[in-house]
Parts: sequence; C-alpha cells; structure tokens
Amino acid sequence: MPLCVMENVSKSYRLATENVKVLKGINLKIESGDFIAVMGVSGSGKTTLMNIMGCLDVPTSGRFVFLNRETSGLTDDDLSVIRNKHIGFVFQNFYLLPYATVLENILLPTIYSSENTGRAKKNAIELLHLVGLESRMNFKPSQLSGGQQQRVAIARALINGPDLILADEPTGQLDSETSKEIISLLTEMHKIGKTVIIVTHDPDIADCADRLIRINDGIVGD
Amino acid sequence: MIKLMNRLPRLFSQSLQAAVAFKTRAFFCILSVALGIASVILIVAAMEGAYVKAFDVVEKFGPDSVMVTGGDRQLRATGNVEKTITLDDLAAIKESFPEGYVVNPVVTIGTSRVSYKSRKFQTHLVGVGEDYSIAWSWPLVQGRGIIRNDIIGIKNVGVIGQYLAKELFGENNPVGKYIFIKGFPVRVIGILQRKGMTPNGQNLDNRILIPLTTAMKKVQNEKKYISAIKVRFSDQARVNYYVEELEDFLKKRHKLLPGARSDFTTISPKEIVVFLVTLTGTLILFIGTSGIISLFVAGFVIANLFLLSVKERSQEIGIRRALGASQGDIILQFLGESVILTTLGGIAGSLLGFFSSKLFSAVADFPMHFSWKGFAAGLLLSSLVGILSGIQPSLVAARLNPVEAMTK
Repeated sequence: MPLCVMENVSKSYRLATENVKVLKGINLKIESGDFIAVMGVSGSGKTTLMNIMGCLDVPTSGRFVFLNRETSGLTDDDLSVIRNKHIGFVFQNFYLLPYATVLENILLPTIYSSENTGRAKKNAIELLHLVGLESRMNFKPSQLSGGQQQRVAIARALINGPDLILADEPTGQLDSETSKEIISLLTEMHKIGKTVIIVTHDPDIADCADRLIRINDGIVGD
Repeated sequence: MIKLMNRLPRLFSQSLQAAVAFKTRAFFCILSVALGIASVILIVAAMEGAYVKAFDVVEKFGPDSVMVTGGDRQLRATGNVEKTITLDDLAAIKESFPEGYVVNPVVTIGTSRVSYKSRKFQTHLVGVGEDYSIAWSWPLVQGRGIIRNDIIGIKNVGVIGQYLAKELFGENNPVGKYIFIKGFPVRVIGILQRKGMTPNGQNLDNRILIPLTTAMKKVQNEKKYISAIKVRFSDQARVNYYVEELEDFLKKRHKLLPGARSDFTTISPKEIVVFLVTLTGTLILFIGTSGIISLFVAGFVIANLFLLSVKERSQEIGIRRALGASQGDIILQFLGESVILTTLGGIAGSLLGFFSSKLFSAVADFPMHFSWKGFAAGLLLSSLVGILSGIQPSLVAARLNPVEAMTK
C-alpha cells in the first residue's frame, strides 16, 4: 500500500476576477520509506503541492489519497488529526513559538493528541538528545542559532511518530555548513524508516534523495 | 467533542502561557476589568451594608415596636417639635390596644446641665414611664429602675447612663448619691446598660431618665402634653397592620379630616429600613451605573485587544493548525486566554473594591459590608465578560486558513 497517491490533482485559486490554475493534473505515488526531493522554480506550484500532501489544503479536482483516505471528503477536524498524527512539518522559517521554550515547542503537537503528558515529555527529551540540544531545552528560540532552531523544529516534527516528514526549503535560511548538518539529520530519519520529502532549490540537496520530482508550471516534469 | 474535553487541561496551560506572555495586552485587560469589578464589589458591599445597618437599627429600636411622636414628618424635618400627643392619648391607646404589651410615654426635655459636687456636665434629660426598660430593651446593670411608686409620688429619682456615670462619679458608685438637675436634687437609683452611639452620632449613654410625672410637673410645668409614645406589640409579624390601626385611631381621636395634614408621626421598623435603604440607594445607582458602563467598555476594549492579538499572532495560529490543532482547539485556547485575563482582572478588582469600601466606610462613615457574595459576583461577572468579549476574536482565529496564517 502506497503512503499517498495523487491522481490528476488540480488546484486553482480565485484571484480577484481571475481563476489561477496552480496545479494542472498531477499524478504521483509515494511509497512508505521513500526519500524524495521536490524541485521547481518559485511559482511552479511546488508549495501548493506540499500543502496538499501535508493535508493543509485539498485539491480542487482529482484525488489525493493519504493512507487510504481521500482528503477531499474529510472534515477540517479529520485533516487536523491526520496532520497531528501522521505528518511532521519542517519549515524554511522554523516556525517556533517565540514565547515558549525549546522543550515546550517540541511538545506542541502532543497538546493536540491524546499522548500521555509524562511519556510525551520523555520522548521530547530523547529527541533533544537525538538533535544534540538537551542542554538548551529551557532556552527560548531567540537564544538559539538558525541551525539549532531548525533542529528543534525537526525534533518537534518527530514527536508524534509521524509516517511522513515534509520539509519545505529546510535549509533556505541556513549557511552551507549548517545545511549539511540538517540534511544529514533528515537522511538519518529516512534511514530509520520515515518517509521524507524535501522541497528545495539546491541541486546538491536533491542529489541526497533517492528520487527527484521536478515541478514545472503545475505539472510533473522530468 | 469528548476528545476536546480530554485535552482541556493542556489547552488551559497553553492559554495561561500565552496570557502572561503578552504583557501589554494582559495589563490593559486586567486593568479595564478591575475597575468595573471594583465598582460592582462596592455596590454589593454598600447594599449589604445598608441592610445590615437597617437590621441593626431595627434590632435596637425593636422589631415589634412603633413610636408615635408629635408633629408631622415635614415639621420634624425642620427641627421643630409640635406637641400634640397627650396623656389622654396614652390612656386611650393603653385601653384600645390590648395587643400592645408595653405602652410607654416619653418626655424629651433635651440637653440639660447636671452636677455632682463640683463636677458639672451636659446631658440628655428624659422623662419616662415605668415600662421604659422593656419599651427600649434597655436593662439596668446596677441598682433599680423607675417604678410605679416613683411615678405616682412624683419622686426625685433618676437612672443614669454609663457615660454620664463615669463623667460625674469617675470610679465611685453613683447609686444612692444626689445630683442636681436644673436646681433640684435627684437621687441616682440605677445605672443603664451601655448602648453606644446612634447612627447620627448621639451618645446614648450620656443621659438621665426621671419619672414622667417629675419631668412634666417639676421641669416643664406641663399638665397635658408628652413628646412620644412607644408601643410594643406581642405579635411581631403583624406590626405593620397595628401601625395602620394606630394611625387611624389617633387620626380619629385628633379629629383630623381625611387628607388633612397629620399632626403626629409614626416610626415603624418598616419605615426605618425603607429610609436607610433609600439613603444608600442613590449611591448604589450612581456606582452601579458607572460600574456596568465600565464593564461594557472593558468588554469592548478586550474584544479589540484580542482581535489585534489574533492578527499579530496569525503565524502562531497557523503553526498550531499545521501541527494538528483543530478549530475547536484554537477557539478554546483564545477563550481561555480572555477568561484567564478577565478573571485575574476580577480578582484585582475585588481587592480594589474591598480596600476602597474600607476607605469609604472609614472616611464617609458609610455602612459597608463585605462578604463572599460580592467576591463571587465579581468573579462570575469578570469571567462572563471574558467569554463574551473572547468569542468573536477566537472565532476569527479559528477560521483563519492555516497556510495563509502561517506565511503572513
């Protein structure tokens, strides 16, 4: 069973009076354990593709099936549960809560799951060890470097044991040295069996992935 | 829905964290609610104070009592006392109202100079009947009271209050000693129990009571008129009915035409309560109106602060939604924040109200009674303001598109 399948997925937005078609019939199949890089110039529709894969948005037409469920037919609450349990997000701008500590940021997804609080905290501390930030768990994000913040975000993405890790330009704000660390961390995630999808501009990063998907003007290119 | 309830404690901790994280917002929310709640606390304290005081005064006056004095209410208000109540009225009331177990006449002579040896003092001189002790619920602590023989014999005897006793005799025992009132000697036969001050600042313990007959013949040279009659009825529950009966009875006796100006005034427990409560009523109305207005204003201030906050924190909302928060989670978090802040405002306001009510009663001698009821009303109102003003902003927050909110 594939993790997710896209069949002829289209997405259009209404901008003023104009209907803008961003995705124009995408067909994709992603298997569990895949390590995929998605490349495309800005405006190619790769962010929209990521949003649909991340269950943050649903297609205008076509089918997107995530873990055997077609997302168009699901309620907002159902989609929230899928994001919470099955998807870990890593964003270009880290998106940590500025007023919460490192540990509290990592625990954020567990607020919305039925995870036992004590066990969640134990998991969070294990993940802090994994990303090498156990000494910083009571720091605020603003006291950390960009690379450290992104490692916190990765720990947060892993806390609920997701099936899919979606990283949208995870190194976009980082220098090349730190980027390498982040990519090797994501590669490790792939090695322990997670499905990892990285959206990137950087061909070097794309080379690390097992499979490359190019998006060009709303369709999958070669 | 059940799942939402299960994570309520965790959502609450998120609300708490955010509530204190945004300090300017917290300060203005708490301040605006605190002012409104403080005035609510003041109203409740003033209302309860008025009732407690009225009850206290009625208790001292006697809940089964009515007093009839000469002159109508308007005349009394100007400070004049018209003499219209006679000894015949007294006898007639005694005869016609068997339910009145005490019917006691009073002659108020007013401030008079008394002396013992070289000591002189101004005191309140009153002529009374033999039942004054029951009529005014005022027992003796020493000696004996004025009895029938004293009244029939027009004896020169008197019962004095504790304040006067101390002023004239110091630590010595006054009973059996002679004091001079208006030039004639009066033997002290008893000492009254301490009663304290009246609401308008008169010291009730600075007085001397002498037989009614002595007061009329030897002090006033009066044969007919007395100042007032106090009646106590055995059936306390029907006292209002008796008051009306008594008024009708006296109107007939005084041959007053229907609708004519009354020449006497009755004071009943009901009137005392009404009088004291209306006195407080104006203040309650004033503080009450401003309190409700300020709570309304607080509600709008908070709603707007939260709308701004939702805009400012749209990225946070987007992040939380991406990480799996449902719309319900977002609503509960923001509602939680507003309720936490307004409840804190309620607590601050309760304290503010408590201390200002203390100040009020200390400075203006205004009756204030602070109880858990005021505190409960304050907390309830403040959380209500929190819910009402939080609804709209939290709905706005929940309806944000996660992706758009995050990238804003």
